[in-house]
Amino acid sequence: MELLPQALVDGILLGGIYITIAIAFSLTYGVMHVIDFAVGEWIMFGAFTGFYLNKWTGLDPFIFLPVIFVMYFVIGYLVQPIIHRVLSGTKGNPFLMGLVFTFGLAIMFRGLALTVFGYYSNSIPSMFSEGSFNFDNYGISITIPYVRLVGLVYALSITAILHYMLKKTNFGLGVRALAQHKDAAGLMGVNSKRTGSYVYGIYVGISAMTGVLLGCILSIGAQMGNEYTIFAFFVVVLAGMGYLAGVPWAALLLGMVQSIFMIYFNPSHTLLAVFVILYIILLVSPRGLFGKGV
Amino acid sequence: MHEPFLKVDAVTKCFGGLTAVNNVSFQVQKGEIVGLLGPNGAGKTTLFNVISGYYAPTHGSITFSGRDISGMPPYKLAALGIGRTFQVVKPFAGLTVLENVLIAAFLRYPKRADAERHAWNILDKTGLTDRANVTAAGLTLAGRKRLEIGKALALEPTFLLLDEVVAGLNPTEADKTVELIMQLKNEGMTILIVEHIMRVIMNISDRLVVLNFGEKIAEGTPAEVSRNPLVIEAYLGEAAA
Amino acid sequence: MKNFTARQGVLAFVVLALVFLPLLSSDTFVLRVVTEAVMWVGLAIAFDVIAGYTGYLNFGHGAFFGLGAYTVGILMMKAELPFAVALPAGGAVAALAALIAGFPTLRLKGAYFAIATWALSRAIQQLALNMDITGGPDGMRLDAFLNPQFFYYLMLGAVGGTFLVLWYLLERAPFGLKLKAIREDEEGAKALGLNPTMLKMQSFILSAIPTGILGGIYAYWITFIDPSSTLGDLVSDQAVVMVVFGGMGTLFGPAIGALLIFAFKTVFWAYLSKFQLLYLIILGALIAVSVVFMPNGLWGTMLKRRNTVRREPEAP
Repeated sequence: MELLPQALVDGILLGGIYITIAIAFSLTYGVMHVIDFAVGEWIMFGAFTGFYLNKWTGLDPFIFLPVIFVMYFVIGYLVQPIIHRVLSGTKGNPFLMGLVFTFGLAIMFRGLALTVFGYYSNSIPSMFSEGSFNFDNYGISITIPYVRLVGLVYALSITAILHYMLKKTNFGLGVRALAQHKDAAGLMGVNSKRTGSYVYGIYVGISAMTGVLLGCILSIGAQMGNEYTIFAFFVVVLAGMGYLAGVPWAALLLGMVQSIFMIYFNPSHTLLAVFVILYIILLVSPRGLFGKGV
Repeated sequence: MHEPFLKVDAVTKCFGGLTAVNNVSFQVQKGEIVGLLGPNGAGKTTLFNVISGYYAPTHGSITFSGRDISGMPPYKLAALGIGRTFQVVKPFAGLTVLENVLIAAFLRYPKRADAERHAWNILDKTGLTDRANVTAAGLTLAGRKRLEIGKALALEPTFLLLDEVVAGLNPTEADKTVELIMQLKNEGMTILIVEHIMRVIMNISDRLVVLNFGEKIAEGTPAEVSRNPLVIEAYLGEAAA
Repeated sequence: MKNFTARQGVLAFVVLALVFLPLLSSDTFVLRVVTEAVMWVGLAIAFDVIAGYTGYLNFGHGAFFGLGAYTVGILMMKAELPFAVALPAGGAVAALAALIAGFPTLRLKGAYFAIATWALSRAIQQLALNMDITGGPDGMRLDAFLNPQFFYYLMLGAVGGTFLVLWYLLERAPFGLKLKAIREDEEGAKALGLNPTMLKMQSFILSAIPTGILGGIYAYWITFIDPSSTLGDLVSDQAVVMVVFGGMGTLFGPAIGALLIFAFKTVFWAYLSKFQLLYLIILGALIAVSVVFMPNGLWGTMLKRRNTVRREPEAP
C-alpha cells in the first residue's frame, strides 16, 4: 500500500503531459473532422529533434521548446492544405480518404524515422534529469524527479494558453464555431481553410514539444509513435470525441493507469489494460465518460 | 370506434433544453392527405423524424394501424409500410438512379429479377425511365426530388411522409409532382405532407394541421384553417392580427 | 458487347495460366512468389468488402490474418488437430474477433471504427507477445509439410473461391448494393428498410473469414509464425495500400493493386534488401499520393476514362 501515493502522484504528473497532446488532437478533430493517425509520429519527430539539438549544442533541451514549436508549427501549417484538399474533394468519400491520408503519413513517417534513427532507444538528458524532490512524512514517501515537476509546469502553462486562446480571442471563437458547425461558421466569415491550417500547425507544434518532454521523462525511439497514437485515441474516446472539457480527466486517468501498471503489474501489460478500458467505454458509453462526444 | 390509421398522441421532442415539438396530437384516417403547415422552425421536420423513427419521442406515443411504433427504428417502420422522403434529398450519389430505386425495391422483392421489374415500374411512374443509368449525382434538383419519391414508393408503403417534395421546382415540374400525388391518393395511399407552397398544400390536402413554435395551433379543412386568426397571426406576424 | 468478351478472354487466360503454372515451371522460387501474390490478392479483396463497399476503414486487417495463423499453429501444435480441422477454426476465430470488435464500434461513426480496429490489432499483437501458448516474441514453429504444389493449389483455391463468393454477393446479389447504400448515405438507407448496423456487421465478418483462412494457410505453408510477421502492422499497411492504390469499392481494383504492389515489393526486397525500411516510406508515400491525385485508384480512374470516352458522343 505504501506505493499507492507514489503511483497516484506519478499518474497525475504523466497525465498532465498527455492533456496537452490530447487537447490539441481533439481540437484538430473538431475543426477538420478527421482523425490524425500520425499524432504519435509528430511526437516522435519532436522528441528526436530535441535529442539532436541537445547533442549538437550541448544546451538543455528545454531551451529549444519554443524553437521546436515554431519549426513544427510551420511544418503542420504547410501539410494541412493537402489534407484540406483531400477532405474537400468531390470524388469518392472525402472523409474516408482523409483518414487514409493521415494513415499513409503515419506509415511514411515511421519508415523515415526507422531509416534515419534506427531501432535504438534513448533518452534526452536535461539539467533536471538528476535530482528529485523527496517527501517522507506521516509514513508516506514520495519521490518526484525534478524533470516531472517541470513537465507539470509545462502542461499547466500550455493548457492555460490554449484555454485563453479558445475562450478569449477572436481566433478561438472562430475555431469553436468551426468545431460546432462548419457551414454556419463559413457564413459567419470564418475562413475554414486558414483556421484549419493554424489549428493543425498548433497541434503539430504542441505534439512535437511534448515529445521532447516525454523524451526527457521516459524514452525515445523511432517506434514510440504507435504507443502515443493509441494514448491520444484513448483520451479522446474516453473524453468523448470532440468534447474538450472531458480531455483533462481522461488524460489523468490514462496517466494513472500507466503508473499503476508500472508499479504494481507488468508494464508491458499497460497497453492491454488501455485497450480493455477503451473497449468497455465504447461498449457502455460510446460518447465518452461524460456522454457528450459526437 | 374505428381505430385511426395514424395516431400522434401528445408527442413532445426535446433536444437538451430546447423543445422542438411540444405536446402535439392529431390523427390521420386511411386514404386521407393531411398537410402539416407552419413557419420555418415550427417543428415540422422534427415531427416527421419522430413519426418516421429517426428520433424517439421524449414523451407521448405514435400508433400506426393500431400498433405502438414510438421509438421503433426507421428500417422496421419501412417494413411496416411507412415510406418517407427527406427535405434535404438523400440520393446515393455514386450509384445510378436505377440502383437507388432497386435498393428500396429489395424490401418487398428479395430476388434481383423481381426487384428490377418493380424498380422499372417505379421509374416509369416517376418519369425517370430515361435517366435510369445516370448516377444520382448527375440529376437536376427536380430529378432528385422525384427520385426521393420513387425510392419511398419502391417500398410499397401504405403511408407516405412527403417532406417538401414540391418546393424549389418550377411550375411545370411542380404540377407533375402534384399530379403524381393525386394519382397516389386515388390508388388509396395515405399521405402526410409538409410543404411551403400554399397553393399546393391548400389544394391537395383534405385536412391541415398547423404548428407554430413546436405546438399545434390549428387543425381542420384548408378553408377552416385559412380563416383561423391564430394561423394568420403565425404567418403574417402580429401586425396583421 | 465487344469489350465484355475481351475482358472475359483475359480472365479465362489468367485462370488457365494460374491452374497450369506448376506444370509449366518447376522452379520453386516462381511457385513460391506466385503463391504469395495470390494470397495478397485474397487479402486485398477481403479488405475491400468492409472498406470499399461498405465505407468503413479497418486499419487492423492484419489482425484477422494473424489470428487465423495463430489458431492453426496452436491447434496443430498444441492440440495436435489435423490441418483440415484447424483451418476452418482459423476462419471462425477471425469471424469471432470481427464480431467482438464490430459490435461496439459499428454503431458509431467511421472514425471510431478506424481507431478501434487499429487499436485491436495492436492489442492482439501485444497479447501474442505476452502469452505462453503463442511462444511470445519467439513465435512458434509448425511441422513442415514440404509440398509447394499443394500449397499453391490450396491458396489458389481459397482465393479463387473467395473471389467467386464475393463477386456473387457484392456484384450480383442485393447484398452488395445494400452495402453501397450504407457507404453513400447511412441515414437515408435506414428509411429504405436497411438495418445499417446489421449489414455492416455481416460485411465485417465476411471480410474477416477469408482473411483468417488465408492466415491459416500461410502459417502451415511458411511453418513459422511470430508476432511481427503475422500480427505486425505491415500486413494491414500493405492491404490498405493495395486497395487504395488499386481502387476501392471494386473487386478488380484491389486485385490489380495487390499484384502490382506485391511485384514491386518482391523486386525491391530482392535487389535492395539493405534498404528494407525505405519500402515502408514508399508504401506510406504511395497511400498519401494516391489519395491526393487518384482518389478512385488505378482501376477506378481507368473505368472512368473509358466511360467518359464512350459516353461523350451520346451526350446531347
